[in-house]
Amino acid sequence: MASFQAVKKAVTLAPTVRTLPSGIPAAPLLNLAARAPHDAHSHGHSPAGTRSDSAPHWVGGVSTSPSGLRSKLFTTTSPSANYQQRFIHTSVARKDAPEVPDWSNYRTNPDSNRALSYFMVGSLGVLSASVAKSSVSEFLQTMAASADVLALAKVEVELGAIPEGKNVIIKWRGKPVFIRHRTQSEIEEARTADWKTFRDPESDEDRVKKPEWLVMLGVCTHLGCVPIGEAGDYGGWFCPCHGSHYDISGRARKGPAPLNLEVPAYEFTEGDEKVVIG
Amino acid sequence: MPLSNTLYNTFFKRNSVFVATIFAGAFTFGVGFDLGVTAFYDRWNKGKQWKDIRHKYVEEE
Repeated sequence: MASFQAVKKAVTLAPTVRTLPSGIPAAPLLNLAARAPHDAHSHGHSPAGTRSDSAPHWVGGVSTSPSGLRSKLFTTTSPSANYQQRFIHTSVARKDAPEVPDWSNYRTNPDSNRALSYFMVGSLGVLSASVAKSSVSEFLQTMAASADVLALAKVEVELGAIPEGKNVIIKWRGKPVFIRHRTQSEIEEARTADWKTFRDPESDEDRVKKPEWLVMLGVCTHLGCVPIGEAGDYGGWFCPCHGSHYDISGRARKGPAPLNLEVPAYEFTEGDEKVVIG
Repeated sequence: MPLSNTLYNTFFKRNSVFVATIFAGAFTFGVGFDLGVTAFYDRWNKGKQWKDIRHKYVEEE
């Protein structure tokens, strides 16, 4: 036995493990099935080489091949330890002191912000005010008379068909309107009367726009009868209901009538050929 | 930011001026809006309205 040991030491054996030129370690003829020698201190534990936490054979593992050791896994197993990915840093930024980043590009300008805010508020106010104004004016326009009503509210009378010294009674808004073509003597009579002593003092100039045309409502101011033309004590109109007398200018001269006959709004059009009442 | 400062100092600083500006702006905006919508309506309906075809039917004296 001792001689064998001496021979072993005398002969230099080739190494069983070497490194290939490519850098891969090669261990040919490695017996992976070799068992560790019996450990006298294992008190009935499982035999060495078959650990309970080792992966089964079908997962893969280390095997021998003609080109050396081969380690291959047929499945992917999750790492058994904490997995942290480490990036390669070739250099590290050196900072002498903790630097606060420059946020000036990201900060807003309080002045322009304030102006913009007030501008938006004002724009909303402008829109709201115009909406409110439009609503109110549109609502008020619904109360106004429509165009057909306004057209019906006017009456047009041909003046050329009325001879001098004649009365014409037309209907305007459901009421009679007297139009008299006065003669020159009637105009004189109406203008020379002392109108300041009348019950309702009113001059003839205030009651007519043209002296020869007298336009007034044919409704007695007493109780609303229609006076009769060319009658009465003053050559004008006479109300048969309660005996009111009107002169040739339509002024109340006698009887219970408190006011002169009313003069409506009228105007001469088309070269005084027509009169439009209303 | 001189523009925003001028704007603020001119219109927004005093509330009375601000409100007056709003009312004046509402008035002008309403007038302008009416004019614009009417112009657009007339252009859109060109040749269809009475005022466009009136000369075909009414002989001016």
